Amino acid sequence: MIRFWSRRLYESNITEDTDLEKRLYVIKKNIKDKVKKKFAGSLAIRMVDSGSCNACEAECNALSNSYYDLERLGVYFVASPRHADVMLLSGVMTFNMTPYVKNAYEQIPAPKWVVSLGDCPVMQAPFELTHAINAPVDKYFEVTHHIAGCPPTPLEIMEGLLEFLQKI
Amino acid sequence: MRLIARYAKELKNDFEVITIYDKIIQREKVPKDTPSMQTLAKIHPCAVWFERKIYDDFGINFSDAYDKRPLVHQERFAKNIHPMQKSFTNKSIQEVDYLPYKYEEISGDGVFQVAVGPIHAGIIEPGHFQFSQAGEEMLHLEVRHFYKHRGIEKMLEGKSLFDVKAIIERISGIESIAYQICLRDIMLQASKQELPKTLKKRHALFLELERTIHHLNNLGFIPNDAGFGAAMSFASKLSEDARRKLKEISGHRFGFGAVDFSIESIDKTSFLEWLDTLQKDIDFFEDWIMDIPSLWDRFDTTGKLTLKKAIKYDTIGVVARASGVSVDRRIDKFYLEHGFEIANEKSGDVAARFKIRLHEVKNSILMMRNFLDENSDDFTLNIFHDGEFFSFCESSIGELLVTIELKDGVIERFFVRDPSFINWQALHLMMRSDIIADFPLINKSCDLSYAGSDL
Repeated sequence: MIRFWSRRLYESNITEDTDLEKRLYVIKKNIKDKVKKKFAGSLAIRMVDSGSCNACEAECNALSNSYYDLERLGVYFVASPRHADVMLLSGVMTFNMTPYVKNAYEQIPAPKWVVSLGDCPVMQAPFELTHAINAPVDKYFEVTHHIAGCPPTPLEIMEGLLEFLQKI
Repeated sequence: MRLIARYAKELKNDFEVITIYDKIIQREKVPKDTPSMQTLAKIHPCAVWFERKIYDDFGINFSDAYDKRPLVHQERFAKNIHPMQKSFTNKSIQEVDYLPYKYEEISGDGVFQVAVGPIHAGIIEPGHFQFSQAGEEMLHLEVRHFYKHRGIEKMLEGKSLFDVKAIIERISGIESIAYQICLRDIMLQASKQELPKTLKKRHALFLELERTIHHLNNLGFIPNDAGFGAAMSFASKLSEDARRKLKEISGHRFGFGAVDFSIESIDKTSFLEWLDTLQKDIDFFEDWIMDIPSLWDRFDTTGKLTLKKAIKYDTIGVVARASGVSVDRRIDKFYLEHGFEIANEKSGDVAARFKIRLHEVKNSILMMRNFLDENSDDFTLNIFHDGEFFSFCESSIGELLVTIELKDGVIERFFVRDPSFINWQALHLMMRSDIIADFPLINKSCDLSYAGSDL
């Protein structure tokens, strides 16, 4: 443990000066401003997977690593739909998940929004319709914004959230 | 003998049930008018899910099975539909009346049930866990999945091998490269060709990088579930770096489309430089994390899977190796020549699974160095021959099996046995002496895929 703190002390903060960092800086600033104005500084997201391949979830988890650090901007992934403002929906809406996704949406207090994530919910991914798939999701919910990509990178998700915030 | 998979397919007048062991493959014919046969579950407990799935898919009845509940077909799924039969061609089905699923429950004075899922508190995939509790102690756990069932086996029927690549690499996003390598091997078997060594090394490099990313993620998540968030910050930074590296050399952050037969060279200098940094960071991480007693107090003896049970349940991958079973698809000449060394622990607890991952990351770094090579050989595939092909690959979770039967150049039957499908069935064995608060930690230490097992 002592080595951990001594490394922390000697290396201090490491910053990278790349194009990505500059783009991130602008996006972060804008998200923070918009969340402050429109959601009183705290936007709660309930992430629901309705049958994805787990790549979209991995990218959402990556949003909390030290490069992106979304929570610092006031955007939280919450544990219950009852705490949420937005449902972030990934996956192809499988037959087996459909009733549970609908239930989760009903549990979100109004005003509420649905943002679809990745190519699956709009059937743009290579998957084809089978008996077990109920996509596209706009059959069930009014989708306010769609974040495209297979899977969208953490940066694209942040840009997508910013577009969503500008839209409403 | 270790049971690897059991699945069925439809012939003209009969069904055929194929049982794959590590040494032999057995085939049994079942007449279509009275589809009934004997269960294997009394010898191999992990056959239960395979057989329940066979019933759901084809309607083949296992007359002496003790568990005949539906597996893939949930409460609102019509009971008389068996979608894998060739006569079923519907693209959508109607929900029927809700018929409750009978969970395995322990009853008794003060014993109560806790239902968790399918939608969980974190950003993870959907699945259901049903606990029977006596206070905090877990008496029993039933794992119930297949919420993510997308009907992939049916989806791929009637397509050519080239058309299915994009779908197969998206069956389980975090194991994408392993799936692609299985498909590559099937393509090579069908065209009766050998892969040039340089391409083989290139693909093996991708696979080890994928394994590194997956393990790094878990090296952060497991301590995080034990309340040590600093490890997560550290490891998630490393895994993000590794993912960016994968994008740099393969063009995609998850390696979708990475395994092909084209020749592109990898920038050796920058890759080796990154490997050096990673090596340094992982050594630092190990030195730091091994020295935190409160963390190891949570890891040691938690979620123990004994060697006896690990063998009985035919477990594979990280879970098996942590319990002392030496099973790894990479035990061959090619991998051994490039520095592969099997990870082995004996205690079978969360600590063992954590150490296995740490060992495998370090071993993967060594192998990636050896896999770096100049690509020079030109390679084109010949025409595909019909036949039934099996291929195995060690994904970051464990041994993956893909089988494809080609008939008239298109897929007649496609079957995947994800390593998670077997290991999920052994998860309840790890809960015997722990409290419910340990469950997330134990589950994460196995880190199984839901998408791969649900198909």
